[in-house]
Amino acid sequence: MSEIDCEHVLKEIELYLDGELDPSVSARLDEHLSTCTPCADRSDFKRRLKVLISERCGCDVPQDLIVKIRARLAALPPNP
Amino acid sequence: MASGATGRVAGSDGHAPAPDGQAEDPELRSRFEREVLPLLPSLYPAALRMTRNPADAEDLVQETYLRAYRGFSGFREGTNLKAWMFRILTNTFINSYRKRQREPVTVQDDDIEDWFLYDRLGGTATEESAESEVLERIPDEDIRGALEALPEGFRMAVWLADVEGFSYKEIAEILDIPIGTVMSRLHRGRRALEKALWERVRERGLVRD
Repeated sequence: MSEIDCEHVLKEIELYLDGELDPSVSARLDEHLSTCTPCADRSDFKRRLKVLISERCGCDVPQDLIVKIRARLAALPPNP
Repeated sequence: MASGATGRVAGSDGHAPAPDGQAEDPELRSRFEREVLPLLPSLYPAALRMTRNPADAEDLVQETYLRAYRGFSGFREGTNLKAWMFRILTNTFINSYRKRQREPVTVQDDDIEDWFLYDRLGGTATEESAESEVLERIPDEDIRGALEALPEGFRMAVWLADVEGFSYKEIAEILDIPIGTVMSRLHRGRRALEKALWERVRERGLVRD
Protein backbone atom coordinates (compact mmCIF):
# COMPACT_ATOMS: atom_id res chain seq x y z
CA MET A 1 0.00 0.00 0.00
CA SER A 2 1.50 3.28 -1.07
CA GLU A 3 1.90 6.21 1.29
CA ILE A 4 -0.23 9.28 0.82
CA ASP A 5 1.11 12.68 1.68
CA CYS A 6 -0.41 15.34 3.94
CA GLU A 7 -1.50 17.54 1.08
CA HIS A 8 -3.49 14.70 -0.46
CA VAL A 9 -5.03 13.78 2.89
CA LEU A 10 -6.13 17.33 3.64
CA LYS A 11 -7.63 17.69 0.20
CA GLU A 12 -9.79 14.61 0.77
CA ILE A 13 -10.70 15.36 4.38
CA GLU A 14 -14.18 16.71 3.66
CA LEU A 15 -15.18 13.62 1.67
CA TYR A 16 -13.53 11.47 4.31
CA LEU A 17 -15.52 13.02 7.17
CA ASP A 18 -18.72 12.84 5.16
CA GLY A 19 -18.16 9.12 4.66
CA GLU A 20 -18.04 9.49 0.90
CA LEU A 21 -14.64 8.00 0.15
CA ASP A 22 -14.10 4.55 -1.24
CA PRO A 23 -13.44 2.27 1.77
CA SER A 24 -9.90 1.46 0.62
CA VAL A 25 -9.04 5.16 0.28
CA SER A 26 -10.70 5.91 3.59
CA ALA A 27 -8.59 3.22 5.25
CA ARG A 28 -5.43 4.85 3.91
CA LEU A 29 -6.53 8.16 5.40
CA ASP A 30 -7.24 6.43 8.70
CA GLU A 31 -3.73 5.08 8.66
CA HIS A 32 -2.17 8.44 7.87
CA LEU A 33 -4.23 10.24 10.51
CA SER A 34 -3.22 7.72 13.15
CA THR A 35 0.41 8.71 12.80
CA CYS A 36 0.34 12.35 11.60
CA THR A 37 -0.63 14.70 14.44
CA PRO A 38 -0.93 17.91 12.38
CA CYS A 39 -3.33 16.27 9.91
CA ALA A 40 -5.24 14.58 12.74
CA ASP A 41 -5.63 17.93 14.47
CA ARG A 42 -7.04 19.51 11.32
CA SER A 43 -9.31 16.55 10.71
CA ASP A 44 -10.57 16.71 14.27
CA PHE A 45 -11.30 20.41 13.87
CA LYS A 46 -13.43 19.87 10.77
CA ARG A 47 -15.20 17.01 12.49
CA ARG A 48 -15.98 19.27 15.45
CA LEU A 49 -17.46 21.85 13.07
CA LYS A 50 -19.83 19.23 11.66
CA VAL A 51 -20.85 18.10 15.12
CA LEU A 52 -21.30 21.70 16.23
CA ILE A 53 -24.12 22.22 13.76
CA SER A 54 -26.03 19.13 14.85
CA GLU A 55 -25.43 19.63 18.56
CA ARG A 56 -26.24 23.31 18.78
CA CYS A 57 -28.80 24.00 16.07
CA GLY A 58 -31.39 21.48 17.17
CA CYS A 59 -34.55 22.30 19.09
CA ASP A 60 -37.50 20.65 20.76
CA VAL A 61 -40.73 20.12 18.89
CA PRO A 62 -43.52 22.40 20.20
CA GLN A 63 -45.66 20.25 22.44
CA ASP A 64 -48.95 20.67 20.64
CA LEU A 65 -47.62 20.28 17.09
CA ILE A 66 -48.23 16.54 16.93
CA VAL A 67 -51.80 17.12 18.09
CA LYS A 68 -52.35 19.70 15.34
CA ILE A 69 -50.94 17.34 12.73
CA ARG A 70 -53.10 14.43 13.86
CA ALA A 71 -56.18 16.65 13.83
CA ARG A 72 -55.47 17.86 10.30
CA LEU A 73 -54.86 14.33 9.07
CA ALA A 74 -58.07 13.14 10.65
CA ALA A 75 -59.96 15.98 8.99
CA LEU A 76 -58.89 14.97 5.50
CA PRO A 77 -61.72 13.62 3.38
CA PRO A 78 -61.66 9.83 3.17
CA ASN A 79 -61.06 9.94 -0.57
CA PRO A 80 -59.02 13.04 -1.35
CA MET B 1 -62.96 19.71 12.31
CA ALA B 2 -62.35 16.21 13.63
CA SER B 3 -60.74 15.72 16.98
CA GLY B 4 -59.19 12.83 18.85
CA ALA B 5 -57.46 11.62 15.71
CA THR B 6 -55.47 9.05 17.60
CA GLY B 7 -58.64 7.16 18.37
CA ARG B 8 -59.25 6.37 14.72
CA VAL B 9 -59.01 2.65 14.19
CA ALA B 10 -59.56 0.39 11.23
CA GLY B 11 -63.22 0.08 10.28
CA SER B 12 -65.24 -3.08 10.29
CA ASP B 13 -63.90 -6.16 8.59
CA GLY B 14 -64.55 -6.33 4.91
CA HIS B 15 -64.50 -2.56 4.65
CA ALA B 16 -64.22 -1.73 0.97
CA PRO B 17 -60.97 -0.09 -0.05
CA ALA B 18 -61.08 3.37 -1.50
CA PRO B 19 -61.29 3.35 -5.32
CA ASP B 20 -57.82 4.84 -5.63
CA GLY B 21 -56.39 2.74 -2.80
CA GLN B 22 -55.47 5.89 -0.91
CA ALA B 23 -56.28 7.28 2.50
CA GLU B 24 -59.38 5.16 2.96
CA ASP B 25 -57.16 2.17 3.65
CA PRO B 26 -57.07 1.91 7.46
CA GLU B 27 -53.80 0.03 7.35
CA LEU B 28 -52.23 2.86 5.37
CA ARG B 29 -53.31 5.39 7.96
CA SER B 30 -51.97 3.38 10.85
CA ARG B 31 -48.73 2.69 9.02
CA PHE B 32 -48.42 6.42 8.36
CA GLU B 33 -48.92 7.18 12.04
CA ARG B 34 -46.50 4.47 13.06
CA GLU B 35 -43.70 5.26 10.64
CA VAL B 36 -44.02 8.88 9.57
CA LEU B 37 -45.17 10.75 12.67
CA PRO B 38 -42.04 9.66 14.63
CA LEU B 39 -39.94 11.63 12.13
CA LEU B 40 -41.29 14.88 13.56
CA PRO B 41 -38.26 15.50 15.85
CA SER B 42 -36.07 15.45 12.73
CA LEU B 43 -38.37 17.46 10.50
CA TYR B 44 -39.27 20.32 12.83
CA PRO B 45 -35.73 21.56 13.58
CA ALA B 46 -34.94 21.41 9.86
CA ALA B 47 -38.09 23.41 9.15
CA LEU B 48 -37.14 25.96 11.79
CA ARG B 49 -33.69 26.50 10.28
CA MET B 50 -35.20 26.83 6.83
CA THR B 51 -37.98 29.28 7.69
CA ARG B 52 -36.09 30.90 10.58
CA ASN B 53 -39.22 31.41 12.61
CA PRO B 54 -41.34 29.04 14.70
CA ALA B 55 -44.75 29.97 13.29
CA ASP B 56 -43.69 29.34 9.68
CA ALA B 57 -41.85 26.20 10.76
CA GLU B 58 -45.02 24.77 12.29
CA ASP B 59 -47.04 25.61 9.18
CA LEU B 60 -44.38 24.09 6.96
CA VAL B 61 -44.26 20.86 8.92
CA GLN B 62 -48.06 20.53 8.98
CA GLU B 63 -48.27 21.14 5.25
CA THR B 64 -45.49 18.59 4.72
CA TYR B 65 -47.41 15.96 6.65
CA LEU B 66 -50.61 16.62 4.73
CA ARG B 67 -48.84 16.30 1.40
CA ALA B 68 -47.01 13.21 2.56
CA TYR B 69 -50.24 11.58 3.66
CA ARG B 70 -51.87 12.25 0.32
CA GLY B 71 -48.90 10.73 -1.45
CA PHE B 72 -48.21 7.93 0.97
CA SER B 73 -49.86 5.20 -1.09
CA GLY B 74 -47.27 6.00 -3.76
CA PHE B 75 -44.38 5.55 -1.36
CA ARG B 76 -42.56 2.31 -2.04
CA GLU B 77 -41.83 0.32 1.07
CA GLY B 78 -38.17 -0.52 1.44
CA THR B 79 -37.05 2.84 0.09
CA ASN B 80 -35.81 5.58 2.37
CA LEU B 81 -38.82 7.02 4.17
CA LYS B 82 -36.85 9.73 5.94
CA ALA B 83 -35.30 10.95 2.69
CA TRP B 84 -38.76 10.87 1.11
CA MET B 85 -40.13 13.08 3.90
CA PHE B 86 -37.23 15.51 3.64
CA ARG B 87 -37.83 15.76 -0.06
CA ILE B 88 -41.44 16.73 0.57
CA LEU B 89 -40.33 19.17 3.28
CA THR B 90 -37.82 20.95 1.05
CA ASN B 91 -40.21 21.02 -1.93
CA THR B 92 -42.96 22.45 0.23
CA PHE B 93 -40.59 25.04 1.59
CA ILE B 94 -39.38 26.06 -1.86
CA ASN B 95 -42.89 26.26 -3.29
CA SER B 96 -44.75 27.86 -0.41
CA TYR B 97 -42.42 29.76 1.84
CA ARG B 98 -39.40 30.85 -0.09
CA LYS B 99 -41.17 33.47 -2.12
CA ARG B 100 -41.78 35.45 1.04
CA GLN B 101 -38.08 35.87 1.55
CA ARG B 102 -35.67 37.90 -0.51
CA GLU B 103 -32.13 36.80 -0.07
CA PRO B 104 -28.98 35.95 -1.98
CA VAL B 105 -28.95 32.57 -3.69
CA THR B 106 -25.23 32.00 -3.54
CA VAL B 107 -22.35 32.54 -1.16
CA GLN B 108 -19.53 35.02 -1.57
CA ASP B 109 -16.63 32.74 -0.89
CA ASP B 110 -13.93 33.79 -3.34
CA ASP B 111 -11.69 35.01 -0.56
CA ILE B 112 -12.26 32.11 1.86
CA GLU B 113 -9.55 29.49 1.86
CA ASP B 114 -10.14 25.86 2.80
CA TRP B 115 -8.70 26.10 6.32
CA PHE B 116 -10.00 29.58 7.00
CA LEU B 117 -11.17 29.15 10.57
CA TYR B 118 -8.57 26.63 11.68
CA ASP B 119 -5.72 28.84 10.52
CA ARG B 120 -7.14 31.92 12.21
CA LEU B 121 -7.91 30.25 15.49
CA GLY B 122 -4.51 28.57 15.43
CA GLY B 123 -2.85 31.90 14.90
CA THR B 124 -4.44 33.45 17.95
CA ALA B 125 -4.65 30.48 20.29
CA THR B 126 -2.35 30.28 23.23
CA GLU B 127 -2.58 26.56 23.90
CA GLU B 128 -2.11 23.48 21.83
CA SER B 129 -5.19 22.16 20.02
CA ALA B 130 -7.05 25.24 21.23
CA GLU B 131 -8.81 25.61 17.88
CA SER B 132 -11.47 23.04 18.69
CA GLU B 133 -11.76 24.36 22.21
CA VAL B 134 -12.65 27.85 20.98
CA LEU B 135 -15.53 26.30 19.01
CA GLU B 136 -17.05 25.00 22.23
CA ARG B 137 -17.19 28.51 23.66
CA ILE B 138 -19.23 29.96 20.80
CA PRO B 139 -22.79 30.56 22.07
CA ASP B 140 -25.61 28.55 20.43
CA GLU B 141 -27.27 31.67 19.06
CA ASP B 142 -24.12 32.58 17.15
CA ILE B 143 -23.87 29.15 15.59
CA ARG B 144 -27.53 29.24 14.62
CA GLY B 145 -27.12 32.75 13.30
CA ALA B 146 -24.15 31.74 11.17
CA LEU B 147 -26.06 28.78 9.77
CA GLU B 148 -29.21 30.78 9.10
CA ALA B 149 -27.16 33.41 7.30
CA LEU B 150 -26.29 30.88 4.59
CA PRO B 151 -28.35 31.05 1.42
CA GLU B 152 -31.08 28.40 1.65
CA GLY B 153 -29.68 25.93 -0.88
CA PHE B 154 -26.39 25.85 0.97
CA ARG B 155 -28.03 25.81 4.37
CA MET B 156 -30.19 22.81 3.45
CA ALA B 157 -27.25 20.87 2.03
CA VAL B 158 -25.18 21.44 5.17
CA TRP B 159 -28.13 20.54 7.38
CA LEU B 160 -28.89 17.31 5.53
CA ALA B 161 -25.24 16.24 5.63
CA ASP B 162 -24.18 17.33 9.10
CA VAL B 163 -27.34 16.96 11.14
CA GLU B 164 -29.15 14.15 9.35
CA GLY B 165 -26.08 12.37 8.02
CA PHE B 166 -27.56 11.82 4.57
CA SER B 167 -25.18 10.67 1.86
CA TYR B 168 -24.39 12.95 -1.08
CA LYS B 169 -26.57 10.73 -3.26
CA GLU B 170 -29.51 11.05 -0.89
CA ILE B 171 -29.05 14.83 -0.64
CA ALA B 172 -28.97 15.02 -4.43
CA GLU B 173 -32.31 13.19 -4.57
CA ILE B 174 -33.87 15.22 -1.76
CA LEU B 175 -32.90 18.57 -3.27
CA ASP B 176 -33.24 17.34 -6.86
CA ILE B 177 -29.80 18.57 -7.87
CA PRO B 178 -26.74 16.76 -9.31
CA ILE B 179 -24.22 15.23 -6.87
CA GLY B 180 -21.58 17.67 -8.09
CA THR B 181 -23.81 20.53 -6.99
CA VAL B 182 -24.25 18.89 -3.58
CA MET B 183 -20.48 18.69 -3.17
CA SER B 184 -20.00 22.27 -4.26
CA ARG B 185 -22.73 23.57 -1.95
CA LEU B 186 -21.28 21.68 1.01
CA HIS B 187 -17.75 22.82 0.33
CA ARG B 188 -18.64 26.44 -0.28
CA GLY B 189 -21.36 26.55 2.35
CA ARG B 190 -19.00 25.27 5.02
CA ARG B 191 -16.35 27.82 4.11
CA ALA B 192 -18.92 30.61 4.33
CA LEU B 193 -20.01 29.18 7.68
CA GLU B 194 -16.41 29.25 8.91
CA LYS B 195 -16.11 32.89 7.96
CA ALA B 196 -19.37 33.80 9.67
CA LEU B 197 -18.27 31.94 12.80
CA TRP B 198 -14.94 33.73 12.75
CA GLU B 199 -16.68 37.10 12.64
CA ARG B 200 -18.76 36.13 15.66
CA VAL B 201 -15.76 34.74 17.52
CA ARG B 202 -14.03 38.08 17.08
CA GLU B 203 -17.07 40.14 18.01
CA ARG B 204 -17.42 38.11 21.19
CA GLY B 205 -13.77 38.54 22.00
CA LEU B 206 -13.26 34.78 22.24
CA VAL B 207 -9.80 35.16 20.77
CA ARG B 208 -7.12 37.78 20.98
CA ASP B 209 -6.52 39.66 17.75
